[in-house]
Amino acid sequence: MTTESNCETPSYDITCRMSHEAAALERLCQVVRVRGFRIAQMVVDSADGTLNIALTIQGKRPVAMLQSQLEKLHTVAEVKLAAPVVAAASRIA
Amino acid sequence: MNGAQHILQAFHHHNIETVFGYPGGCIMPLYDALVDDVSVEHVLCRHEQGCALAADGYARASGKLGVCIATSGPGATNLITGVANAYQDSIPMLVITGQVPSALIGTDAFQETDVLGMTLGIVKHSYLAESADELPGILEEAIELAQSGRPGPVWIDIPKDVLLAETSAAPAYAPAQPKATRPELTCAIAMLRDARKPLLYSGGGISLAHAEDSFREFAKCSELPAVVTLKGIGNAGKHSAHNLGMLGMHGSRAANRAVDECDLLLVIGARMDDRATGKLDGFAPNAKTIHIDADASEFNKLRNADIAIRGDLNTILKELTQAIRDTPLAINDWRKQCQTWRTTGGFQAADNEEPLAPITGPAFISQLSRTAPDDTIIACDVGQHQMWVAQHYQFDRPRHHLTSGGLGTMGFGLPAAIGAQFANRNSTVINVTGDGSFMMNAQELATIRRYNLPVKLIIMDNQCLGMVRQQQELFYNNRESHINLDDNPDFVAMARAFDIPALKIDRTDQVRRGIETILAYNGPMLLHVAIAREENVWPIVKPGGSNKEMIDETRRTAADKKEKIA
Repeated sequence: MTTESNCETPSYDITCRMSHEAAALERLCQVVRVRGFRIAQMVVDSADGTLNIALTIQGKRPVAMLQSQLEKLHTVAEVKLAAPVVAAASRIA
Repeated sequence: MNGAQHILQAFHHHNIETVFGYPGGCIMPLYDALVDDVSVEHVLCRHEQGCALAADGYARASGKLGVCIATSGPGATNLITGVANAYQDSIPMLVITGQVPSALIGTDAFQETDVLGMTLGIVKHSYLAESADELPGILEEAIELAQSGRPGPVWIDIPKDVLLAETSAAPAYAPAQPKATRPELTCAIAMLRDARKPLLYSGGGISLAHAEDSFREFAKCSELPAVVTLKGIGNAGKHSAHNLGMLGMHGSRAANRAVDECDLLLVIGARMDDRATGKLDGFAPNAKTIHIDADASEFNKLRNADIAIRGDLNTILKELTQAIRDTPLAINDWRKQCQTWRTTGGFQAADNEEPLAPITGPAFISQLSRTAPDDTIIACDVGQHQMWVAQHYQFDRPRHHLTSGGLGTMGFGLPAAIGAQFANRNSTVINVTGDGSFMMNAQELATIRRYNLPVKLIIMDNQCLGMVRQQQELFYNNRESHINLDDNPDFVAMARAFDIPALKIDRTDQVRRGIETILAYNGPMLLHVAIAREENVWPIVKPGGSNKEMIDETRRTAADKKEKIA
């Protein structure tokens, strides 16, 4: 299924550092989804038991709310938010 | 020592004396270890959901960690509702499940489910123990995590081979140190002093932080008019002169009016749930907000806070008290106004003087409140009876009122009462339930009988799903849909089948004696209370509506008459 995102939907770049435990990425993605955001891009590096994740997410809710929910995860060491940009119309498969 | 024995060692180390569980294939090594360890009391419930909810009730009533245990597959999935219930209400809980042996994970083995994956959204944290060597560290961390900060359930899924493997590993976990005091407190105190109509709004976070005494001292010193959430009932004590009662959908007129008119909300240990706030646009429209909580993610989630303070509520409340102790707040006019609202719009003790009249919910609960001992713990289910208890029972302590606030889990009350009785062996514990909720976990009558728990059971039976029927009547043009339960079993006979004595009442003049009879009985007893099918909970705010638009019986009757005339 292909859906077109709303061209007014803000887009945010987030980087996240977390321990590489079982279901770590699932936990992160689940929080992003439940708190009202969609993942447009995701890059993951793994080294020394740590995951470094760069996410581009889209959503209309305040991103600070998502940030505080991610920071609350026990295995997350750090969440950094880059300045928001309004997304151009994009297609997400 | 094998993995299973390490679990029991962790229980001893953390003074965990009572656990609720149900055995099965993959958790058998732990049950085998329990044979040799008589110092951990294992309570065998009759369904894993009963185990989780009993552990929840134990934790709520005691303030300690609740522990539940189940096997893999259906044992684990049956726990889920109970764990979600604990998560929504921030109840400290340790969940231990067996998993299929490591080599079989991912092969669709017998009784294999991806428990870690399917429970991510209902736990504070979870672990899959991949080796026996890491298990002691996981146990230490999980027990600490479940109880620290904002509490919640922590789940450890343990493959059978890990339970059986020998290890000499020792726990290695250094808990995080509490953060330093916040400078925002000074600003909050200044804002409180500037306010002309400040209102104290407290929730379940007070008891979760073990801060009841600090809260009462602050409430007494500040003499702030106060409202509470469903989970905050009991925070102020039943003799508080300034408590306006519960706010929200079924809150008191006084509480909702005060929220509407206040110019400052001092929110402590509450998350501004939609059932409490109603439509956010109309909630406390003139008020600034100070929000104090253990969990920073609650700030600005639903309402922006002018000042947000994260930390231990006990410490913060003591600092607030210290700051205002010597200089009282100059809000006498506001206090008087709130007192007037309390007199005219608070929940009044309901009575019915007609001896042969049908029993009404509010009158029954009022009588129960007058009759039951002070240390009584009420474990509610979900529905109309739950709201009548919240409105008409006078609670002196929040841990005396066990209610499924966030998840609204029908079937919570009976197993929660079992847990509460294990936590408070000498207290009176009453499960107040409805006919719908009772049937959700009625199998736990066998647990009451097995342990001869003196739990009292009160079924308020209106032969239907009353809260759903009420909303269908009010908001769906009275189109009743699948709420009829007039084919309920004979509850008295049902209780007796479990060797639990029972009696039925259906008239007002039987209420007092019925309550006194079950309270006086030395053991478990069930009271079946027949009430009218058509009875509603008043007042009510339409879901999604503003708390200003409360509907009460008088207004509805007037509207009906007008409609008929038209």
